[in-house]
Amino acid sequence: MTNSIPEIRDADFLFVTGSNTTEAHPIIAMEMKRAVGRGAKLAVADPRAIWLTEIADWHMQLKPGSDVWLLNAMAHVILEEGLESRDWIEANTENFDSVVETVKRYPPEEAEKVTGVPAETIRQVARAYATTPKAGIYYTLGITEHTTGTDNVYALSNLVLMTGHLGVRSAGMNPLRGQNNVQGANDAGATPVFYPGYQRAEDPAVRDKFSRAWGVEQNPNPGLNLNDMMKAMGDGRLRGLYLMGEDIVISEPNVERVEEALNHMEFVVVQDIFFNESCRWADVVLPAACFAEKDGVFTNSDRRVQRVRKGVEPPGQARADWQILAEVMRRSGLEQPDYQDPGEVYAELASLAPKFGGISYQRLDTEGGLQWPVETPDAPSTEFLHKGGVLRGKGLFQAVEYRPPFESADPEYPLVLSTGRTLYHYNAATQTRRSEGLSQKQPESFVEIHPGNAFKMGVEDGQLVDVVSRRGRVRCRAMVSRQVRRGSIWMPFHFPESKTNYLTTDAGDAVTGTGEYKVCAARIEPVLEDAPRQVFPGSYASARS
Amino acid sequence: MSQNNGHASQSSDGFIVVDGNELSFREGETVLQAAQRAGIEIPTLCYDERLTPAGACRMCLVEVEGSRLMQPSCAYKASPGLVVRTQTPRVERNRQFILSLHLADNVQDRDEAEDNNPSRLHALAEDYGTLGAWPRVERQRQERPEDTNPFIEFRADRCIACSLCTRYCDQVEAVSAITLAGRGAHTTISTADRLSLTDTTCELCGGCIDVCPTGAMTEKQALAYGKPERELEKVRTTCNFCGVGCQLDLNVDRQANRVVKVTSPPPGTTVNDGNLCVKGRFANDFVHHEERLTDPLIRGEDGQLHPATWDEALDRVVQGLQGVAERHGDDALAFISSSRCTGEENYLFQKMARAAFRTQNVHQCAAT
Amino acid sequence: MQPKGARREDVLHVLDQKGGLRPGVVDKVHRETGVPAADIYGVATFYHLLSDPDGGVRVCQGLSCKMAGCDRLMADLRSRDTKATYVSCLGRCDLAPALWDPDGEAVIPQPGLTASHDAMAIDLLGAERPAYGALAAVMERGSDWMVEELERSAITGRGGAGFPAHIKWKGVRSQAEMERYVVLNADEGEPGTFKDREILLRRPHLVIEGLAIAAFTLAANDIYVYVRGEFGRARESMETALAAARRRGDLDHLDGLRWHFVDGHGAYICGEETALLEALEGKRGMPRMKPPFPVEKGFRGKPTLIQNVETIACLPAIVDRGGDWFRSIGRREAGSKLYCISGHVRRPGVYEGPLGWTLRELLEAAGGMVGSLKAFSPGGASSGFLPASKIDVPLDFKSLQKEGSMLGSSGVVVLNQSADMVEAALSQAVFFEDESCGQCAPCRIGTQVLRQTLERYLTSRDVGVLAHLEPVMWGMGEASICGLGQAAHFPLQSAMQYFPEEFGVAAPP
Repeated sequence: MTNSIPEIRDADFLFVTGSNTTEAHPIIAMEMKRAVGRGAKLAVADPRAIWLTEIADWHMQLKPGSDVWLLNAMAHVILEEGLESRDWIEANTENFDSVVETVKRYPPEEAEKVTGVPAETIRQVARAYATTPKAGIYYTLGITEHTTGTDNVYALSNLVLMTGHLGVRSAGMNPLRGQNNVQGANDAGATPVFYPGYQRAEDPAVRDKFSRAWGVEQNPNPGLNLNDMMKAMGDGRLRGLYLMGEDIVISEPNVERVEEALNHMEFVVVQDIFFNESCRWADVVLPAACFAEKDGVFTNSDRRVQRVRKGVEPPGQARADWQILAEVMRRSGLEQPDYQDPGEVYAELASLAPKFGGISYQRLDTEGGLQWPVETPDAPSTEFLHKGGVLRGKGLFQAVEYRPPFESADPEYPLVLSTGRTLYHYNAATQTRRSEGLSQKQPESFVEIHPGNAFKMGVEDGQLVDVVSRRGRVRCRAMVSRQVRRGSIWMPFHFPESKTNYLTTDAGDAVTGTGEYKVCAARIEPVLEDAPRQVFPGSYASARS
Repeated sequence: MSQNNGHASQSSDGFIVVDGNELSFREGETVLQAAQRAGIEIPTLCYDERLTPAGACRMCLVEVEGSRLMQPSCAYKASPGLVVRTQTPRVERNRQFILSLHLADNVQDRDEAEDNNPSRLHALAEDYGTLGAWPRVERQRQERPEDTNPFIEFRADRCIACSLCTRYCDQVEAVSAITLAGRGAHTTISTADRLSLTDTTCELCGGCIDVCPTGAMTEKQALAYGKPERELEKVRTTCNFCGVGCQLDLNVDRQANRVVKVTSPPPGTTVNDGNLCVKGRFANDFVHHEERLTDPLIRGEDGQLHPATWDEALDRVVQGLQGVAERHGDDALAFISSSRCTGEENYLFQKMARAAFRTQNVHQCAAT
Repeated sequence: MQPKGARREDVLHVLDQKGGLRPGVVDKVHRETGVPAADIYGVATFYHLLSDPDGGVRVCQGLSCKMAGCDRLMADLRSRDTKATYVSCLGRCDLAPALWDPDGEAVIPQPGLTASHDAMAIDLLGAERPAYGALAAVMERGSDWMVEELERSAITGRGGAGFPAHIKWKGVRSQAEMERYVVLNADEGEPGTFKDREILLRRPHLVIEGLAIAAFTLAANDIYVYVRGEFGRARESMETALAAARRRGDLDHLDGLRWHFVDGHGAYICGEETALLEALEGKRGMPRMKPPFPVEKGFRGKPTLIQNVETIACLPAIVDRGGDWFRSIGRREAGSKLYCISGHVRRPGVYEGPLGWTLRELLEAAGGMVGSLKAFSPGGASSGFLPASKIDVPLDFKSLQKEGSMLGSSGVVVLNQSADMVEAALSQAVFFEDESCGQCAPCRIGTQVLRQTLERYLTSRDVGVLAHLEPVMWGMGEASICGLGQAAHFPLQSAMQYFPEEFGVAAPP
């Protein structure tokens, strides 16, 4: 995020796209509601009629995967009506002309045909966004989990750059992190591209620095990203696997292929708090402590480093992950400092990554959270990025052209399936489904289907159905709901006995490798064995059926 | 605490006089806000900085020069030259009157009242005193015994109808699942048609529990556990679900090594501003779940996983990984960590991959 | 939070249309209006005509009706298997003990009235006015002139607060915001009061013309007429008159003026002006905190003039005959006044006289006492009780205030020697407890304390149970949000003051 979460309440215009904020980030949604309560305008671009559309001034219910068309058309309107911020573009950006040329070919009237969003709505939203000084964009997986994920992000950032809605309180570009410490894991270098603090692994000077720091010559071969790893497991390049807190059998797309690849592994370590699905392939399973049982830091969506503190002892022999890792390293022969607590680990991290150089447990304990960059012990927390200009030199416009999703609906698979989260569960639901209360509220998987489609297929609300894609078949109950567009269906991915990711495609974005969880072709086959029953009484979706 | 919640500028739009002290205020601020900023204590029961003031509890009444009646400082806007008194006998008598009245209408004994949540009402009664114990007022308020939701219990006999919970539900969580219902003496908190919360728009965020000043809204599970909040230790930590980074307080029973419940830090102190969602507040059963892994497991000759000691398991890990590397090269290993683990753990994990096993094949589920 | 496009203001009306709070109705109203279901339920349970749609015949238990034997009436109804429910006050004190059948409102017989005359502003038995000459005059002379004339008349609000009308009018006119509203407060419900009912029934054109004058003067485009739900006949009378005026072309010059009729649904508190605004906005009728006052932020947050029926009905006369004339009618304070009288009196009714009449004069107009005067309540429940010795106190705002009472709505109830002052005070306490909106603690809990204490005292006659009343009454007066709570202890306090022996004490507390 370029802005901070508490800035949202003061925004005057919110453009929320590809984010079901009330369910995936409820607390950020509260800030959005607060802004709307104050009188801020809200535009939601989402194929589903999510809760936020209830209080939105505009709902752009686009067809899944047509984001680039929609966003380019908004840019088209802004430029056509001269609403761009010329001086700001001049001072802070490069490559503007390329976008001008490209978006000329994306008039709203044509966009209406591709996206299904009325041209007039596109115009109104584009105008409101461009002309409101405190206008923020909020997005998440609905933008990135596409084969065109990177393009989608570029198209959004083009809007930000042409309006100059950056480096100002409550105005900016805000991807909302889906997991507690995605930011922190990346910050810490758990990515093949970067060493800690976003120091590039491809840079020999960086590798030298870490070779010296750790006393081991760093491997110059480029590392594999997650999506590549899954493929390399399949083709025999990978033979050993260490999984820490990650259940790839649930969370990765095209699960069947993942399971097949795991069969070829020679050695698999799984370190987790529960016996997860991947443990079935493990040679060693290590019991870990959960967040309530250990110390450390999480870094949230707005770059805020905050403390995790131990409240209770882990069960049985379970140990904190950091203790286990330090011990594995020691036993592997790597010389290690004898870490007494995670504070010492953090100090090592901070000493090697200038962005966090000024952060210490001592400061975190007295100041609460600190938003990086904080380079020196006396540097303040950084509330929002790009103050007084773009962070790294000039903001680069990236013209993007529309490309259709990897799969489209066809006669055999006439529906477009998107997947996502619900409020009541979390990821593979290893934690939330062990809450009796949450399981009571949302006990099982479901597929949302528009009444129009349901009627044609003879599917009733609460009926058992099979959802079928080219990759697999999953059984769950139908929730007939106007939350989804006609022709679209939607499923949560939380339920292991109904693994949505048997259906999804592992076609990934060319840059990030992120799988296209948001679009795949599917069909629904009614299962005729039992009487339909209501899926979740009182849920927002059933209220709108 | 790092405070990014306030306004960037602390500019003043004028001065009011409170108890003889000149205090600056900003446009739109109330007397209470200006006084609180200056450290002048005015007790409140129905005030929450996140909500539009209701002015209903009448605890915060102060004398305002030029006004015949005392005015609610939570709602009365500061204006240049306003003269306010917060410590006169009249103001103080009113506070005692309000507290006496509420106690006559509520659970009178503090220990009994604080069987689960702290009671601001009873704490204030101890701090400010009362006008004596008055005869108990008969109960006329309706409960919802048929509400089978798993988390939230409403105890009408402790409700002071301050509307903090309904305003929170309407303005912050914005789902409008609960409402003031009935009128006058019958005023109570209800859902539409007194339905179970799970059958309404309620998203079970539990904010109603956090804002309740008397414990009328309380946690079913913690209530059943049977230890009041004051006997638990609060451990401030960061939520382990989504990427918002809400601060929460684990309420820990040290003796039993148990997280009994989760509460939110006060509004205005952390990034979540006193709010939590259903997962952060209630989805903690997993911590003490019987299915937690408690022993290292090693796959034996029989193809089954068997409990082992840490020594055996760790050695096996190192041997196994090093064996793969010897047979197929360092880059035949892949390390996948979790964005659920801490920063330190991710640091050590990538260090392990890069330094102990000499490969750049390290990643985590990083779509967001 | 209200979803975009939710029709909150329609909630009460739609609830009513669908038959009130019955199974499934909340959900239906939710689907029709888009308003959150809980909010609809909260609203429905606030108004007793909605929350108790099967309450059957409503029996009044206001003070006059209590003294006239409402309990016997109730017993009688029940013995005949007629479904009946007690309510606070039906605005039919002249008919005590009164009842009201929501499924077939009876025609209200004529009460005692002053014979037609032209010395006063309203003249309830006066002939119907021809064309709206006063309105035409105001439109010709302009709104500045009207406000000046209003100030000259020195008329104060006839609803009970007695606030100078011209200050409100000037307040609205001084707002920059041009979206403005005029609201007629016809939610008459103070026990002992039924004057507005008579105006609406007999002189609706005065009200319509007065409202048109107000709307023209304040440049308002919308007039809201809020009539209490139990006054169906009065509302019909207004609608008929409006239709007639339109037919005759009396309102032709006011282009774009919109008239809205809104029913009350059984909540005395909505007579409080800001509670009334809440009701108009489709909410629970809980008074707002003031400031801001409605002239600044009223209906929909816009400048709003709210006036009582009688105040508005005086306007045509003020315009026709001048502010000076109006002012000169009164004795110490300006204007004429409609006084209601009920209780132990020969001809209960509405009598028009100069503001400042004494009870002696009013009794004379009403044919005298039944029995001998022991006490009276000069202006509704909120005014408390005065002893017979105050029979010559002018019934105006300042004189009564000096006596620790108030003119209020000028609904006088007289009690004869048979009255038990503890029971009288209890009757008023029951009223306030039933009609408290429940928003603020002093009123919500305080009214319960008073009623329960009086009941305990009635059964035990133990003076000890009264011990804590003084601080409770003090706090209710000091700390309640609105006038209802602030005045709710007056009946008891004054009864104890003037009739201490009935409360077992020798001297006033």
